[in-house]
Amino acid sequence: MDIRDQLGAVKDGKLSRRVFNRSLLALGISTVMVPVAGRRALAAPEDQATYFTWGGFDIPDYFTEYQAKHGELPNFAAFGGTEEALIKMRSGFMADVVHPCLSGVPRWVESGLFQPIDTTRLSNWPDVIPELYNVDYNMSEGKPWLAPFDWGQTSITLRTDLFEVEGEDSWDMLWDQRYAGRLGLLASGGDAWWCGAIKAGVPFDQIASDDAFEKISTVMRAQRPLIRTYTDDTTTLNQAIASGELVAAMTWNSSAVELQAQGVPVRFAQPKEGALTWVCGVMLHKDAPHLDRAYDVIDSLISVPSGVFNIGSYGYGHSNRKAFDGFDEATLRGLGLSKNPADILQAGHFQIPQSAEWEARMNSTWEQIKAGF
Amino acid sequence: MTRPDGLATLTAPSFAGRFLFRHDILRGYLLLSPTLVVLALAILIPFALLVAMSFWSMAGYDMVTEPSLGNYAAILEQPMYGVLLGRSLMVAAIATGVTVILSYPVAYYVAFHVHRNKMMWIILLTLPFWTSYLLRVFAWRVVLGYEGAINSSLLGLELIEAPLQAFLYSKTAVTIALAHAWAAFAILPIYVSLEKIDKSLLEAAADLGDSPARRFWRITLPLSLPGVVSAFFLMFIPTVGDYVTPAMLGGPDGLMIGNLIQAQFGPINNWPMGAALSLVMLVAVAVAGGMFLLLTRLVRR
Repeated sequence: MDIRDQLGAVKDGKLSRRVFNRSLLALGISTVMVPVAGRRALAAPEDQATYFTWGGFDIPDYFTEYQAKHGELPNFAAFGGTEEALIKMRSGFMADVVHPCLSGVPRWVESGLFQPIDTTRLSNWPDVIPELYNVDYNMSEGKPWLAPFDWGQTSITLRTDLFEVEGEDSWDMLWDQRYAGRLGLLASGGDAWWCGAIKAGVPFDQIASDDAFEKISTVMRAQRPLIRTYTDDTTTLNQAIASGELVAAMTWNSSAVELQAQGVPVRFAQPKEGALTWVCGVMLHKDAPHLDRAYDVIDSLISVPSGVFNIGSYGYGHSNRKAFDGFDEATLRGLGLSKNPADILQAGHFQIPQSAEWEARMNSTWEQIKAGF
Repeated sequence: MTRPDGLATLTAPSFAGRFLFRHDILRGYLLLSPTLVVLALAILIPFALLVAMSFWSMAGYDMVTEPSLGNYAAILEQPMYGVLLGRSLMVAAIATGVTVILSYPVAYYVAFHVHRNKMMWIILLTLPFWTSYLLRVFAWRVVLGYEGAINSSLLGLELIEAPLQAFLYSKTAVTIALAHAWAAFAILPIYVSLEKIDKSLLEAAADLGDSPARRFWRITLPLSLPGVVSAFFLMFIPTVGDYVTPAMLGGPDGLMIGNLIQAQFGPINNWPMGAALSLVMLVAVAVAGGMFLLLTRLVRR
């Protein structure tokens, strides 16, 4: 059928109804077929497991094993804070594997959305450092709820050329009046509030008391006028530090390591009060639609190549002890890491699980403080 | 219905057909029914849920469905909510005002002085919409940022010694980005109302000795006011609750009510409070809009 002919026929008003219907039919069929044909041609993303993780961890470098096995990457979804992620999953968001932190495990387990991990299905599990998962609240009949993956510190990345340190490194640096308007902070209460507790001198086992809320609120309110921006986006923080817009900011290990790699004169401070230390890992959804591939996601995350990337490029600790073999002691010390995580984790302040009520109260107080009240 | 000889008969309309034929209003509603169904499913029911939820409260992760006025009391008591709402209304009003004033001459020019390729001009006016909103906001970060276009040129001209921090992360940044992003929403309705004005009215006024300024003041402006009013509403209502722009450009002092509502549904996990805040915002927008309408009525007299 000649298209030109048809157009001419329409113009002259001579297109027969039969021809017209036939072209409509053709159009309809092709419209319906487009998604089907397209889907066949492309790889099918719905066959892959979905990994719900912190922004910055949704990259191919952690999935060399997974990619080798399945030829594709898992699907990614990203969050800025674990509380946000838990709420999203409670309201029905389905991800096979999700990336919370160890201190959140009791609350996450309570949601009833997760299943313990059968470690016999993970080929890399024997190399995982037991100190990172072997705590009461993480174990259910010998199976962990959370398989540890990364660990590290929340501390201060500072510009060595722009920030003049008086005496020892200290959390006071983020309260330094001299640099008002040039300091940055992580927006998530999961980091900021706990660092506020360290600054206010509140021991973590008393963080739930009214008195602690009062003290921490006071220091965070005092800090607010000095803060240029609160953000969950590490890229924003990194760019601002690189340009000199910020001279110091609360960050995780990765910001300092990435900026150093770019040749920006920065240092990851070791505050004398101690840094905030954490262990994060992955949990498995109880109705994970791609259970086998979910296990492959976990296995890939705790594999040596993923660990080497995690240590070398991001400066985070990893849960696979073999991943540390390629790094000498000096390099690790420079990154604030060690082959014995306990050394680092206990030298800092390790987060303690809190109740849902505490999280809600903390987050609403923190949002108010950020808004200026 | 066919007869054996193949000819169609004229059948008498069925009862339902006759009933419909006689009842105009019913026919109208029947015609509207697909829209009404969508409206009910997508707007009225969620809205009713929102209203109901705003009277609930939270205990841990669970919602307590016993109705109470606690959320509204908190909104009245704590200054944060009032301040953020006031700031949102203010930012939206300034952005809308600036945009409408800047858009009017553009619309005027296209309506009265462009004679050829009018369609191309109108398409050009919608250019800002050709890129995603997020990209436009990011573009403003590049322009206003610490090492951004403005700071670099000022530094290059040696007008300043260190980059100015005043641009990004402020209410001003939010206002500028909103005014830029929503310009087409203001220009198009004004253009339509200007385009409709009967040119012979202007000629008559000129013949009777009105100066151009008087002509504009007594004919063009009053006749284009409906366009100005709709431009105002089209832009003011969505910008009050805007979330992305203040989140990206606002900084600590540029947060708006939309960010707080997001936080209620996100990290704070207090959906009832979020619902109550949304409703309060809705009422505030309605009141502000009503006041604006009243004002234009008064001006027109």
